[in-house]
Amino acid sequence: MKTENTTAQHKAPALLMLEDGTCFEGVSCGATGEVFGEVCFNTAVVGYLEIISDPSYTGQILVMTYPQIGNYGVARADLQSEKLGLRGLVAHDINETPSNFRSEMSLPEFLATEGVVAISQVDTRALTQHIRDNGSLRAVISTSDLDRASLLKKVQASTPLSEQNVTQEVSCKRAFEYLDKNEAYDFILKPAAPAQHKVVVYDCGVTASLLRNVQRAGCAVTVAPWNTPAQDILTVKPDGVIFSNGPGNPEQAQETIAAAAELLGKIPVLGVGFGMQIMALAAGAEIERLKFGHHGCNIPVKNLTTGSTEITTQHHNFGVVFASLGTALAQEGADAKAALDNASGNALDNDAPVVKNERFGPIALTHTNLNDQTPEGISFLDIPAFGVQHHPDEASGSDESHYVFTDFIKLMDAKN
Amino acid sequence: MPRRTDINRVLIIGSGPIVIGQACEFDYSGAQACKVLKEDGFEVILVNSNPATIMTDPAMATRTYVEPITVDSLERIIARERPDALLPTLGGQTGLNCAVDLAKAGVLEKYNVEVIGCDVEAIERGEDRKLFAEAMAEIGLECAKSGYAYGIEDAEKLADEMGFPLVLRPSFTLGGAGGGIAHNIKELREIVAQGLDLSPAGEVLVEESVLGWKEIEIEAMRDKKGNGIIICSIENFDAMGVHTGDSITVAPAMTLSKIEYQRVCTAALDILKKVGVQSGGSNVQFAINPKDGRLIVIEMNPRVSRSSALASKATGFPIAKFAAKLAVGYTLDEMPNDMTRVTPACFEPTIDYVVVKIPRFAFEKFKGTDTTLTTRMKAVGEVMSIGRTFEEALGKAARSLENNRAGIGFDGKGNFDEERFDELVGLPTEDRLFYMAEALRRGWSVEKVSEASQIDPWFVNRLKAMVDETAALEGKNLEALSYDELWRAKTFGASDIQIAHLTQTTEAQVRTRRKELGVVPAFKLVDTCAAEFASDTSYYYKTYEKTGDTLPSEKPKAMILGAGPNRIGQGIEFDYCCVHASYALADMGYETIMVNCNPETVSTDYDTSDRLYFEPLTYEDVMDIVDAEQPAGVVVTLGGQTPLKLAKPLEAAGVPIMGTKPEAIDLAEDRERFSRLLDELGIAYPAAGTADSFEEALEVADRLGYPLLVRPSYVLGGRGMVIAYNAEYLERYMNEATRISPDHPVYLDSFLEGAVELDVDALCDGKEVYIGGLLEHIEEAGIHSGDSSCCLPPFSLSQSIIDRVREHTATLALAVGVRGLINVQFAVKDSEIYVIEVNPRASRTVPFTSKASGVPLAKCAARIMAGESIASLNLPSDARELGHYSVKEAVMPFGRFPGADILLGPEMKSTGEVMGIGESFPIAYAKAALSIDYSLPLGGTVFISVCDRDKRSIAPIAHSLHNIGFKIVSTAGTASTLRASGIPVEVVRRVQDEQPNIGDMLANGEIDLVINTPFGQETRGDAYRMRTAAVRYGICYATTIAGAGALVRAIEVAKRDAESKDILVPLALQDLEQWNV
Repeated sequence: MKTENTTAQHKAPALLMLEDGTCFEGVSCGATGEVFGEVCFNTAVVGYLEIISDPSYTGQILVMTYPQIGNYGVARADLQSEKLGLRGLVAHDINETPSNFRSEMSLPEFLATEGVVAISQVDTRALTQHIRDNGSLRAVISTSDLDRASLLKKVQASTPLSEQNVTQEVSCKRAFEYLDKNEAYDFILKPAAPAQHKVVVYDCGVTASLLRNVQRAGCAVTVAPWNTPAQDILTVKPDGVIFSNGPGNPEQAQETIAAAAELLGKIPVLGVGFGMQIMALAAGAEIERLKFGHHGCNIPVKNLTTGSTEITTQHHNFGVVFASLGTALAQEGADAKAALDNASGNALDNDAPVVKNERFGPIALTHTNLNDQTPEGISFLDIPAFGVQHHPDEASGSDESHYVFTDFIKLMDAKN
Repeated sequence: MPRRTDINRVLIIGSGPIVIGQACEFDYSGAQACKVLKEDGFEVILVNSNPATIMTDPAMATRTYVEPITVDSLERIIARERPDALLPTLGGQTGLNCAVDLAKAGVLEKYNVEVIGCDVEAIERGEDRKLFAEAMAEIGLECAKSGYAYGIEDAEKLADEMGFPLVLRPSFTLGGAGGGIAHNIKELREIVAQGLDLSPAGEVLVEESVLGWKEIEIEAMRDKKGNGIIICSIENFDAMGVHTGDSITVAPAMTLSKIEYQRVCTAALDILKKVGVQSGGSNVQFAINPKDGRLIVIEMNPRVSRSSALASKATGFPIAKFAAKLAVGYTLDEMPNDMTRVTPACFEPTIDYVVVKIPRFAFEKFKGTDTTLTTRMKAVGEVMSIGRTFEEALGKAARSLENNRAGIGFDGKGNFDEERFDELVGLPTEDRLFYMAEALRRGWSVEKVSEASQIDPWFVNRLKAMVDETAALEGKNLEALSYDELWRAKTFGASDIQIAHLTQTTEAQVRTRRKELGVVPAFKLVDTCAAEFASDTSYYYKTYEKTGDTLPSEKPKAMILGAGPNRIGQGIEFDYCCVHASYALADMGYETIMVNCNPETVSTDYDTSDRLYFEPLTYEDVMDIVDAEQPAGVVVTLGGQTPLKLAKPLEAAGVPIMGTKPEAIDLAEDRERFSRLLDELGIAYPAAGTADSFEEALEVADRLGYPLLVRPSYVLGGRGMVIAYNAEYLERYMNEATRISPDHPVYLDSFLEGAVELDVDALCDGKEVYIGGLLEHIEEAGIHSGDSSCCLPPFSLSQSIIDRVREHTATLALAVGVRGLINVQFAVKDSEIYVIEVNPRASRTVPFTSKASGVPLAKCAARIMAGESIASLNLPSDARELGHYSVKEAVMPFGRFPGADILLGPEMKSTGEVMGIGESFPIAYAKAALSIDYSLPLGGTVFISVCDRDKRSIAPIAHSLHNIGFKIVSTAGTASTLRASGIPVEVVRRVQDEQPNIGDMLANGEIDLVINTPFGQETRGDAYRMRTAAVRYGICYATTIAGAGALVRAIEVAKRDAESKDILVPLALQDLEQWNV
């Protein structure tokens, strides 16, 4: 009996080589070729399509820790961007016979069509542990060159992601009006609120989902390239500006930082993910590289203003160093420095720690990551601006992070 | 928010005996809760009538009551213990219902007991389908179109509006009991009538059918601050229409896209909030139309459930433990994740493997019942397995079932009904998986199989991949197979036995070849975080990957093989023994390793042993673990028949077996060798013979005379065991037996009619024997010991008989060479003592005997196996007077199997047991009876009809009933016997006679108690119809004279207690003497 339509057909071999010489064998499961990128892992069980099409993964080779992906196929309506930014995909098993009423094709077919090189039958758990212990590494997936020594040489010669300006690569080239014509979610979503505000979104690698959520919250959305000068924005007089999520090292996006520095204080500003880092850099903060980043949809974040915990989706490798935003402010008798250290799960119902920024005045830490206590949200107290590190449009379980959009609407309402 | 300081004493209600729909998962959750609350400084008062549970170990709670779970019993305990709070969400539906009843009866208010973890309104909103549907509409979620019927007419009216098929669900019943699917008006009337009877509210929900839709379950938790997290999603392999407890299920959900998944998660958390779950875990079930994604909410359980136990095992997230902590004031964000210990509990577990659960059924025990799976649960147990792919996990789960199969097929054991083949590929039965695999092997397309079964093509495609990959090895030469070929087959879940079958070799040869080629598995961790963080906990599964997560250890390792899936004859009792062994061996300094595949158990709690391997109990899987761990010893005698049958092959492979050696096991199990031994020792046993054919059986019968006890060799739980009174019946039996197991002969024993049976549990260290307890059966010989009620100490035997039984036990234990536990069954007839059976292993009665005597026998056994002597254990004298009586009574699942006869016989049928403790035998028996039936008839009308053999002994029983105040009705024959003894009796017509007859009286609720004893093989007659009616209407019944006698004495006691309230006094185990080792 001939084997057809099974996941693991006998396929062309492929190799994944890391810059430290660790090598994984597997089979080719998408486009063929050779790709370089920084390897990172994502722990989400569901949502492979949204993840691989999220521009935040531009320049990266993504490892899915959930071992059997592709099960519900590909519905193009779920894509977060037109063009896939990730360099390559690594999985244990990628299904070729998906089942879902919205599926248009299988994931391997889609990867091949989109030119994404993928390798499967990899022990992704062992690989994840390696990344966890050694941090993000440069890597290459090849279906053409199976010589390990040659691959190692090539990967060691490749440019590190943090030295690349990927923002330039993923951002739109000219501004456009966003209008969600996607009817695919009509079976689930309620109709959008009528547009009451004009919002410009700086596209640093924005996801379709973020734009859709802003629109649904009642905004007319204009998407602007990453390097749009602040003056151009101020001329069109929007009600608010959003710095979007995106891939890479924010320090590479100097033009965006400059624009943010000018816009802050003049107009309500929201930063999401990469966008929050841009805001912080505009205020003179430092950015640090996280060991292996935050990539998943189950990351617990404590909201320090309400005391509740939110389960969030995140995709980032860099983070804001909160203390670098300014000098600590003692608040209501409490030692702010101690409060900052305690801003973990145990410091319940404390007022959020606050620092005094030289340029923009007091800035509060509003959210912290419960796993590693890194900052997840900041709020400028004297000017209408705040940011969150997680993706509020993609809460995994409930819509508990959607308040970010309504809060931004309130900010714009107050300003007007 | 830290723990509450205003409460100190917490009452936890357990779930009572193991029944279908409520098994040992509640021991797992309850034990976790007791442990965590005690650790936190609370005083825990526990009530559970089930002695075979870990939670009722005296050390688990502050005060432990093995007492009936009734309002009356609970009120007495509350009055005595004065708890501050009641935590009702851990004892299944039984615990929850009891809490609601206590609240309604005003008991909680009277004693100022606060319900924590859930409030009564929330329970009602979750469980009352009408309130639930209203609540769902308010938050914009759809339920299936439905209406309520309070009578047959209501249901017919609803059927006119909605059309057929319709799903029928009685309100407030356990595991959906009494529910079903009606395809026509006749079925509608039948099921509704039954449902109205079973529903405490007399209410049946009639619902639009969503047959064939996807079924999805979400396990979620919520705390009082409003933090909500999703623990796990589960997708059913079987489409809607099969009860989720009877479905093969998969975690995580496989075929939901992100947006659909997000929608069900959001809906689940909204539902918890709306229903009013203040803190704790809940399970929400959804149906999704596979054609358009339409979402329907099916139901929610605002408590720890079977699914939450599965979700805990599947993710490593201890739901019950956290539910208990949330109930006493903590919030999710302040508790650390148990696995990683660095991340908070308020973190949704993520997994990097696939989990499959397959239910285990026992239809072979209930001839005459419909084996089609419906919305009413029929499974008696389940297995779970973990793999890196669905295929790997399904293959492992299929070979975990202990059904003699080696996977989804390809083992030469497929026994397909060719005439009904096409139908059985589609019809939901326990065999459907195997029919589907076979159909794919025969070339059916995925579409055709999916259409026939309504099972999502995703699953069928994966099944086809497994079939194709495994079939690819057919006819190949094992020695010529490459590394890649073997590796691929293993990653698709193939077992060594399947590969051996396909390559016409043996399992051992396949294993050798595999190891030569390096096709060996790795063991990976279940860690809640997909390796994102390092984890402390050693919870492993096997997979075919190159690198594993196991760490070396310095300590000597002791490996305990568990009992596998619960089934009739092998249940929670063996898990109890394994858990105790693990505790004892850990105390002795061993690194303990547990191997089991049953997700319902305490043994598979990753907290129980140092290392847990969630794996099938097959030679292949156990040996793979042995190869990785190199244990100093393996315990095979505490998990029942499942590990016992591995003893020999493991020893042959050089594995050190702890305790009783396989040679001794063989000596006891080999009838010929054992008979010779008994002859040498001068111990009597019933005359016996073996036969391979009817002709040989007839010769044996001529020699021994009738009646004969007939059974196949090597069985557990008396499978296929009967009493033959004549040649005609013997012929029928032999024909069937030779068909079922052609390789094994049939045993024929002279049946000791009317004998008293005894079970003895004892310890032996090779030099000394310690009698753990003597259990006198209440029913006479001929009833399986697992179904018979029994009393410890014996209540009717002379000291000289007891002394001789003790002597025989000691002689046998030493002669067989036992190191650990032994169970001996005796029959006493005319002062003559016969040995019926010797089991050189832990028996089903060990937990009961341990609780009754205060001596932890399984722990003692483990210490003996590890080399300690009985003398060093400092046990009390085994001849001491206990000062109290303990009765064990079996719980029958007949209500689940309409059509099956309720008669007791040599084949075991009970699913669980309860225990009653009291200062006299009748008090203990009354408590046990109340634990099962929740109330005893204290007056009214009794129907008595007995066979001729019992006519002489019925008179005293009837006399007592008359004195208590019962009105007696009888069939003509029995009536004349009773009249002769001067007992007033009214004659009623039999079921087959013209109406009104006894059948109508039963249906109309005019009968409160039934005593009916059968004779011989009479099965489908009048009495059968009457007995099944008694089960259907929930009427108290007795089918043996001895049972009736004990029941009447219990009724007497209960009646006196109803007036004085000072007889059925609750007893805490802590008030009885307890020994620890």
